[in-house]
This record gives sequence, C-alpha cells and structure tokens, in this order.
Amino acid sequence: MRKRAARSALLALSLAIVARPAAAEDARPSAPLFNDADILEKPRPYFQIESIALRYSRFDQSGTGYQSRAGKPGQPGSEEMRVEQPQLEVTARQGTHLTHRIWVPVDIVTAASPDAIDVVSGSSRRNEAASFDWTATYARDRTTASIRNGLHNEENYRSWNTGLAGSRSFAEDNTVLSAGVNVVVDWFDRYLIDGTNAGHNARSSLNFNAGLTQLLSPTTVAHVDYGFTLQEGQLSNGWNIVPTPQGAFQLENLPPLRRRHAFVARIAQHLPWSGALHGSYRFYVDDWGIVAHSLEAELHQRLASFARLRFNYRYHTQAGADFFRTSVPLGAPIFATADSDLAPLHAHTVGVKGTFDFAVPFARTLHADVAVERYFRSNDLRVSVYSCGLGLLF
Amino acid sequence: MKRLVVASLALALGGCAIVPQNRRARLADPMMSLAQDPLEAHRKQKLYSTREGAAGGDGLAAGGGCGCQ
Repeated sequence: MRKRAARSALLALSLAIVARPAAAEDARPSAPLFNDADILEKPRPYFQIESIALRYSRFDQSGTGYQSRAGKPGQPGSEEMRVEQPQLEVTARQGTHLTHRIWVPVDIVTAASPDAIDVVSGSSRRNEAASFDWTATYARDRTTASIRNGLHNEENYRSWNTGLAGSRSFAEDNTVLSAGVNVVVDWFDRYLIDGTNAGHNARSSLNFNAGLTQLLSPTTVAHVDYGFTLQEGQLSNGWNIVPTPQGAFQLENLPPLRRRHAFVARIAQHLPWSGALHGSYRFYVDDWGIVAHSLEAELHQRLASFARLRFNYRYHTQAGADFFRTSVPLGAPIFATADSDLAPLHAHTVGVKGTFDFAVPFARTLHADVAVERYFRSNDLRVSVYSCGLGLLF
Repeated sequence: MKRLVVASLALALGGCAIVPQNRRARLADPMMSLAQDPLEAHRKQKLYSTREGAAGGDGLAAGGGCGCQ
C-alpha cells in the first residue's frame, strides 16, 4: 500500500515537471504583435489603380495658308485657330502580369476654317472630337506583349484603330528590342466644293515599327526606331482648297496612296551636376516627294529633390510635296495641294517645362507640371502652346 | 540613308559592353527617360502631325485617327 502511494506521488511529480514548461508558455502573451503580412507586405489586391493623370493643353495658332478659304481670292487665307485639349489617363494592374491603360483625349477646335462652306455640319467654326483608347499589356520575365484598341468620334467623322506590340530585353536588360503594328481606319462624310454631301468615304493607315534601346554606359542610353506607314483612300481632309488663276478655287486633289518612312535616333546623357542632355535626329521620306530632317535637344536640370526644369529646342526642315502649288487651272485633272503643311518649310520650337513630384500621405507621388512652347514656321504660321499636368502615382 | 543605317549599327554595336544593375542609378533618374509622358507625347504629336506633312510614322501611324491629319 505504501509502495503504491509512493508510485502515485512519483507519477504526479513527473507530470508536474513535464507540465511546467507548458504552464510557463501559457503565461506568455498569447498573440504576437505582428503577423506575416506585416513583415512580408500585405498581398496586393487583384485589381489595383496604379496611376491617374490629367493634362490640359491649349494651342493658339495664327498665320495664313493658301489652302484656307478665309482670305481674298488667290491670296492666302487665315489659319487662325484655337485648340483646347483635355486628356485623362488611368492605368490599373490586374493580377501579377497584366496592366490596363485607359486614355481619353478630347479636342475642342474653334475657328478651324471660318469661311468654309460646310454649312451642313457646322463643324467649321467649332468642332469637338473625343477618343477612347484601351491598351492591355502582359509582362512576364523579359517579354511584354500588348494589344491596343481605340475609337475616335467627331462631327461627321469616325475612326477605329487597333494595334499589337511586343518587346524583349536581352543582355541583363542592357538591350531592348521592340516592334509593333497599327491599323487605323477612318470613315467620314464627303463634301463637294459647293457643300453638297456626296456620301461617305474612307482611308486606312497601316503602320509597322521596330526599335532598339541600348545602354551605352552607366550614364548614357540610346534608342533607334524605324517606322513605315502605308496610307490608302481619300487622304485629303475634304475642305482644303487650291486657288485658281480666275480667282476661284477648287478642292485639293491628293494621290490615293502614300508610303512613308521615318527613322529616329535618340540619345540621353546624364550630366554630373544633376542634369541630363537629350538629343534626337529624325529622318523622313515619302513617295509624295517630301524629305525632312528634324533635330531636337532637351536640357534637364534638377533644382531640388522634388523639382526639375527642362528647356527644349527643335529644328525641322522639309522639302515640299511634288504637287504643291499655290494656283492650279480650274478643273485641271492633276494632283494639286496648296496646303501649307505640305509646302517646303523650316520650323523652330522653343519651350520650357517645370516638373514637381511631391510625397503625399494618400499616394506614392503627386506629380504636377507646367509647360510653355512657341512654334514658328517659315511660311507664316505661329503657335503658342500652354500645357499643365497633374497626376497621382499609387 | 546608308549613312543613317551605318550610324545606327555603330550605335548598337558600341553598346555591347554590359552595364551591371548596380551601376544604373543615374539611368534610373526620370530625367534620363527616353520615353516621354504619354499625355505630353500626344500633345507634342498633335502640334506636329497637324502642321507638318512630314510628321508621324515613328511609333504610331502617320495620319489617320483625326480629321485634320
């Protein structure tokens, strides 16, 4: 009996010893003060807005051109015009690899051709145009693929565009090759010289691009790009005129086919005083006889951690189209345009832009910028451009 | 045209030296981006494509999509 009591006491003691650590553990705080998500970041939501951007631009244009009817017979007419252009862009991430971009640009054009005879639509004096553009991009490892679709609508005019693009990086992302194809189809009302609606007409543009971006040094990056565009259909806008020696005018008559080649080279060099210098050259040639060269330079300077300034200058020179003329015999069945955009010309652009990026509590970055540019051309055209942007990066 | 092709090839071949990831801090500066803000790029495209017969074709279709091009 005594032996049995001693065995029970030993068992109880053993249990007490074994149970002690557990009891001690029970005395510790039961829940940790942080969890895995606090250490590893919270899992991202499946659908997340990444950025919202707004931009407002205004173009004030003055000058004259022979294609405008707003002038004396045989003399260049007014090209005075004002364009207001608000834009909205939203980008969102869906899952790990997919990004969507929604872009809505609007153009409000006032006094595009004040004396035009387009009395049917009334679009001559004030014309509103809007587009809706959606791009979905799939990115995985070193490859991206995107599809783009868009609709454009303005008075008596519709347009659809679609495109595919892709890129692939090589050599530890030192080299990026990209290529894309775009198709644009325009469908619009056709007007005769007296304003009679003559049904509908169309044009299409097929474009192919290929580009290469290359890191050249820890402070230098370069890019080259080639683009080919094939346009078919009615390529005139429907209201440009060509004066006749008799003091009358007729609608411009453009070839129904145009093959266009553009080659662009860009380089950016970081400067030791928190600045950067960008340079670009563009060569253009088409089968209408236009050959053009454009040179552009940008000087960027950081003023503070949140502010930087940019100065830009561009020079453009082009030979005119083979069939550019400021007068054509009435009824002559020849290709002819008096459009000052297709004339031989030189153009200069000078501009300045201030950019500000602030850290804010409700987003990663609040972006703001304001820019002013002046464009002036050798054949009597001047444009002042004012633009400001506001954006949130999440 | 031949000179342009040769120049672009020279540019591409000259970049064969690899820049390691840990030496790209300056390249990551937004000032070094060769791609413009898309909304500003559209504003710029609008300025030139409706005023110069030689505009466009680089990146997007030259012409089309707007009644005044």
